[in-house]
Amino acid sequence: MKEIKVIVFLFLLIPAISWSSDFLGLPIPTDSKIILKNKGRLEFETDMNHDQCLRYYKDVLKDAKDIKIREWKSVTYIEDDGKLPWHSITISKNIPHKTLIVIVKDNWTWIMGTLLLRYIGVFVVLIVLYISMSIAGSIASKLLKDKE
Amino acid sequence: MNLNEIVDMLWGILHSTGIYHFQFKFLIMWAIGFLFIYLAIVKKFEPLLLLPIGFGIFIVNFPLVPLMGFSHGHRELIQIFYHYGLEWEVLPCIIFLGLGVLTDFGPLIANPKTLLIGAGAQLGVFITFTGTVLAGFTLKEAASVGIIGGADGPTTIYLTQHLAPQLLGPNALAAYSYMAMVPLIQPPIMKLLTTEEERKIKMKQLRAVSKREKILFPLVASIIIALLVPSVIPLMGMFMLGNLMKESGVVGRLSDTAQGALMNIATIFLGVSVGATMYADNFLSWKPLFIFTLGLLDFAVCTAGGILTVKIMNLFLKEKINPLIGSAGVSAVPMAARVSQFMGQKYDKTNYLLMHAMGPNLAGVIGSAAAAGMFIAMFD
Repeated sequence: MKEIKVIVFLFLLIPAISWSSDFLGLPIPTDSKIILKNKGRLEFETDMNHDQCLRYYKDVLKDAKDIKIREWKSVTYIEDDGKLPWHSITISKNIPHKTLIVIVKDNWTWIMGTLLLRYIGVFVVLIVLYISMSIAGSIASKLLKDKE
Repeated sequence: MNLNEIVDMLWGILHSTGIYHFQFKFLIMWAIGFLFIYLAIVKKFEPLLLLPIGFGIFIVNFPLVPLMGFSHGHRELIQIFYHYGLEWEVLPCIIFLGLGVLTDFGPLIANPKTLLIGAGAQLGVFITFTGTVLAGFTLKEAASVGIIGGADGPTTIYLTQHLAPQLLGPNALAAYSYMAMVPLIQPPIMKLLTTEEERKIKMKQLRAVSKREKILFPLVASIIIALLVPSVIPLMGMFMLGNLMKESGVVGRLSDTAQGALMNIATIFLGVSVGATMYADNFLSWKPLFIFTLGLLDFAVCTAGGILTVKIMNLFLKEKINPLIGSAGVSAVPMAARVSQFMGQKYDKTNYLLMHAMGPNLAGVIGSAAAAGMFIAMFD
């Protein structure tokens, strides 16, 4: 009975051993080599491959709302649009024998930056329309003049 | 049958009525519904929308009414309108088709630089986004609240349904309420941000626009919008289709249907469905009240954004633009343009700004759709 209790206790400890630390509520594997850590950003390397890392974080976030996963050429980008304390997890794809993971905290720089860009984007859409209309208008006027 | 059995039966009957389940919160919602009906009938504020919305609020706020839920696994009446009309995003697009037929892009084509005013007037959308995030809303919710300032009902519904459907009722209601209150909200801001001299600026008469240009416009605009902000093409594509139908002059029957019967049918179902989302349990919390407060601020900043854009443009233009038309950069068509006309005439009876203000007004429709497209691209 005592052995069983010890085995159960050790079994319960496994997750704590493998994923003993975390950053903004996200677990980090113990074999990780931390490259950079500050209040807003954590960069680390792990021996797990990209697919294992992605599967792991998908599992961790399976109950989280407002998570979106984007597959880019060199990284997988997991973004939270909800209320979690972190903003994104970037998992590298093409580094041999290891994977680089970057976790970034929710930050106002990102929010303000993206808002400014999108506001400029509205101007760009309307400026392109303005230029197109001006060109189309002048062509139409010229054609009409020629006809007359 | 003894007395106890009769009492039990009566008790059972009472249980199946709304009287037994009635709560005070329903009375509050009735008051809100009646307010909208009053504004529609007595004050004539956007009656085509506020009346069905008001009745929708009123009629769902009774206990046990089979309107917005599921009975025996089937959707109930208004739930069907809501599901197929709003959740499937069909009704806003049908309304945009009708609006396209009703729209004359002539003033915008004649003076395309007013497009920039429509972009400038989206300032409030982005500022409100920040305020809403600070208040603890999620980013998606913040985007859907921000778009209220664009003063475009169908776009607000389209974006909210896309990003934060749980806020559809309060957002749509705030958007339509403030659109209806344009004549009350905008004039003080216009007065505050302009000098008397600026208000008297007379603008050169707009050039005549050929039919060919008018036919070309919806096609060119569709290409640009589809390439730059593809996510809003269901809305803007229908808008441009409606306009092409009108300008081509060859499908009169289709144009009549789109701007008449079809749009009216869509408006009835949209209004009732939006109103019916305002069930007491959903509405009586801090979030909708906050949305209403912030929506007003949003609208004010958008108005200011349009006016300030004109003032900035005037620094570089030889022929000055009257900044009163800047407020029309919010897309409440044609109400905002009428307010510009009214304010212009107040200071100079011979100043006719209506057609000049229609340019930024229509640019506002495109601008708010572009802003919505930016948000959808951000989260999809």
